[in-house]
Amino acid sequence: MSEPPGVVCRECPDRVFANVRGDSGDLRLRRAVAQVAGLDLPREPGTWNRADRSRAYWLGPDEWLLVVEGDDGLALEERLRDALDGPFSVADVTGAQVQLELSGPDAGKVLQKSSPYDFHPRKFPPGRCAQTVFSKTTALVAAREDGAFDVVFRRSYADYLMRWLADAAAEYGYRLE
Amino acid sequence: MFRIHCPHCQEVRSEEEFSYAGEAHIPRPADPSSLSDAEWGEYLHTRTNPRGPHREMWVHTAGCRRYFNVLRDTVSYEILAVYRVGEMPPERGEA
Ligand SMILES: [Zn+2]
Repeated sequence: MSEPPGVVCRECPDRVFANVRGDSGDLRLRRAVAQVAGLDLPREPGTWNRADRSRAYWLGPDEWLLVVEGDDGLALEERLRDALDGPFSVADVTGAQVQLELSGPDAGKVLQKSSPYDFHPRKFPPGRCAQTVFSKTTALVAAREDGAFDVVFRRSYADYLMRWLADAAAEYGYRLE
Repeated sequence: MFRIHCPHCQEVRSEEEFSYAGEAHIPRPADPSSLSDAEWGEYLHTRTNPRGPHREMWVHTAGCRRYFNVLRDTVSYEILAVYRVGEMPPERGEA
């Protein structure tokens, strides 16, 4: 009777988040982020890059969300500020964000129930990310190489969205880790 | 239900991700304090309200949160063109 769940949701409590803004063509910005987070800011709309413990998601033509594992949010902001020299903005937004991993064969179906965005792998292959309507709120969703999805949303909606996901995924079998 | 091409995300997205933000290309008066009440009222409230192509602002609220312009036919609701803030609207609508 214990079939593997169609959807597995894992909270990622060890992530810190920084909002970074500036001219995407400015080498000073790109070098500073590369130095601190070890990755290149994605310039292609709707894409994300990752390094060992960092990810950078495109939010807009001059805005990114930087996510680092096992760091300290304020310390990350300070390291970025120290490395940046120019008209750029960095803000630690760790307190405002929650990140989940949604995996399992039916994870995409749960996303599709939750949003008008087309998460089909043909349209949304690994390396893509999108901010969109998610249930009655909004989320940033990113497609990963392993077929799972990273989902980032506001902490104040966490209780609501966790209940939403559990309900939406119930018919496929749901496990929260 | 509109399907709107966001010029920043460079993708067609669903209308519920967007908010309407009023008529486009209305310059703020350079020196508001020199205007009469009638002139200021004109700037604040008077809109062209055309029947046919209308140049309007939209914001991608649930997506990139950027503003852009849309040329939309108010009769057919057809979106004739989408262009960025700072760009000139196309003469005739060609998306
Ligand atoms: Zn957009």
